[in-house]
Amino acid sequence: MSQTTPGNLVLLGINHNTAPIDVRERLAIPPGRLADATRTLLHQPGIREGLILSTCNRVELVTLQEGTAAEPGSQTGNKADLLRFLHEYFSVPPATPTPHLYEFREREAVRHLFRVASSLDSMVVGEPQILGQVKESYTVAREVGAVSTTLEALLQRTFTVAKKVRSETQIGSSSVSIASVAVDLARKIFGSLQGKTVLLVGAGKMSELAARHLIQQGAGTILVANRTESRAEKIAAEFHGTVIPFDALHEQADRADIVITSTGAPQKLFGRSHGQHFLHRRRNRPMFFIDIAVPRDVDPRMNEVEGCFVYDIDDLQQVAAANLADRSREAEAAETIVSREVDKYQQRLQTRDAVPAILALQQSAEAIREAELARAAKRLSALTPDQQAAVEALTRSLTAKLLHPQLTALRRTTSPAEDDKSSD
Amino acid sequence: MSLLWLRVAVLLYGIAALAVLPAALYDRPRWRHIAIPATTAAILFHFVSLAEMLNAAHHRLPVDTHETQAFLGLVLALVFLIVYARYKTVSVGVFVLPICFLLGLIPAFHPGQEYTSFPLLHTGWIFLHIALLLAAYAALLVSLLASLLYLIQERRLKSKSPAIPWLPPLETTDQIALKTLLFGLPCMTAGLLIGSLIAQATVGASYFRDPKILLAFAMWLAYVAMIFIRRHSGLRGRRAVYLSSFIFLVVLTVWAANQFSSVHRFTTP
Repeated sequence: MSQTTPGNLVLLGINHNTAPIDVRERLAIPPGRLADATRTLLHQPGIREGLILSTCNRVELVTLQEGTAAEPGSQTGNKADLLRFLHEYFSVPPATPTPHLYEFREREAVRHLFRVASSLDSMVVGEPQILGQVKESYTVAREVGAVSTTLEALLQRTFTVAKKVRSETQIGSSSVSIASVAVDLARKIFGSLQGKTVLLVGAGKMSELAARHLIQQGAGTILVANRTESRAEKIAAEFHGTVIPFDALHEQADRADIVITSTGAPQKLFGRSHGQHFLHRRRNRPMFFIDIAVPRDVDPRMNEVEGCFVYDIDDLQQVAAANLADRSREAEAAETIVSREVDKYQQRLQTRDAVPAILALQQSAEAIREAELARAAKRLSALTPDQQAAVEALTRSLTAKLLHPQLTALRRTTSPAEDDKSSD
Repeated sequence: MSLLWLRVAVLLYGIAALAVLPAALYDRPRWRHIAIPATTAAILFHFVSLAEMLNAAHHRLPVDTHETQAFLGLVLALVFLIVYARYKTVSVGVFVLPICFLLGLIPAFHPGQEYTSFPLLHTGWIFLHIALLLAAYAALLVSLLASLLYLIQERRLKSKSPAIPWLPPLETTDQIALKTLLFGLPCMTAGLLIGSLIAQATVGASYFRDPKILLAFAMWLAYVAMIFIRRHSGLRGRRAVYLSSFIFLVVLTVWAANQFSSVHRFTTP
């Protein structure tokens, strides 16, 4: 691409792949300070437009800078300006972030931004939050006046590409965490989780996380059973649930649609016969057992009971791994979409770049035509108005025909972009 | 003219049957927006065609096999739309819509040649008798399909294989299976009752000794027993499929028994 673009697109950043958390946390910008940081970035010398994306996994500065990459020393100058900003704003010595920094320019910067917003560069590929975070950064940058024509167009295109990736691939359709896999499975069994009863047996971070996910999806009543009653009461209070005595577990477990177990018991808490008993009392309404404990709390043979679905930690991990593999496959398709969109975007830039040249050529030809007509004005004064109009038309037509090959050649360089417009 | 409308309806069933595939299998809402209106339009054209066809034949109800077949297709499509409106799932349509298409195909392009002059067929009660029984058959077919879908999804979940994403949750398929059965029961009961009253008045007691009629009552008893068992014990999964399949077999036998009945045949080939 021609580097005579109006400005120089530079993206500088660190992310979870390049920097450890102790570096990332020193550069992280809390949402409340984002506007101030963006404003400060915009006031750096040579910065025309700018945006800061700061999440727990990345800090990136997207800037449009004066000059072009072709100018000698401009690249090092651009990077130095941004490094100075990092040094001044975060009070970190330049040596701290420098080894972890990556820098993308022009086409590669566009590609990186598209990949980030499409969640292809995320720690968990396909996670949906990143697009919202990019949008938030854009909103802040817009509010402080740090985004205008070039970044505006780039970011709008970025959002379109991210949406396209999400709608044309299945990149975000499957769950990849244990807790969300458990919720997905529960929904496959029960449909809506509205009003479903969840029984938490034992305590553990993962089981509480799974319970939290289920509550977010509408699960109604939470029952808690724990050998230590005070612990049970604490968990129940946290989830606004009810404690059931551990000794009465087998009498009351059938009240629950979903049972999450994570005790440290060396023996199984629930056997096959318990499953049959529960199902009989529930008149065959299904029960879903999520067994996160190691050693397991639920006898795997309970899964043979019609209406009982038992998933242990390995089962859940296998589903998560399979979903992750699906996402990787979808990511390949998404990369293809991103590459295509980067090409389209670059072609659009080329179109935009060619417009001034076309206009200059037309204006120059028009100036020559008018000058020549002015020189011949005396000799043409004897002509009637109709004849003068005919001469005027003749000169216009000649100019247009003489310019035609040059204009066609210029436009030809941008023709793929025109195709692109029609395809959009 | 009725044939033209029927052909349009069959074409629309075909479009709906194709559109429902991406709509259900790949969760593409755009295709759902084709499948549902196409089914609705097909039902309207089918209804107009049926009304014109029956009117032209100077009787008010489907008599020959093809007419009955087409009518069953219409009722099935209606049941599918009701299921969609209630449960917002088009998965059942993957199976039901092609059946509607096939049921309409032969009557649309190879109409039957049977005719009748049986005066009873001009009464509205007989129409109600047939319509109600066909509605019960359609409900039973959809219930059987839903039970099969339940079984497939349940097996996947039990074997820890990835669940089939386009199938509705187990509880939804179970509800579809049960509710369609419940919908079919009053239809079948009223249909048989009306038929019996008419038979009593016109044919007399000998009607009730006909094997086809006896089978029909056995079918009703089996149907009631199945609903009782399902509701009482919450029967689901494999055993529910076995039970539904058994009743469906009885229904097919009752249908086929028309060919052997001496008193329940109103057409002359």
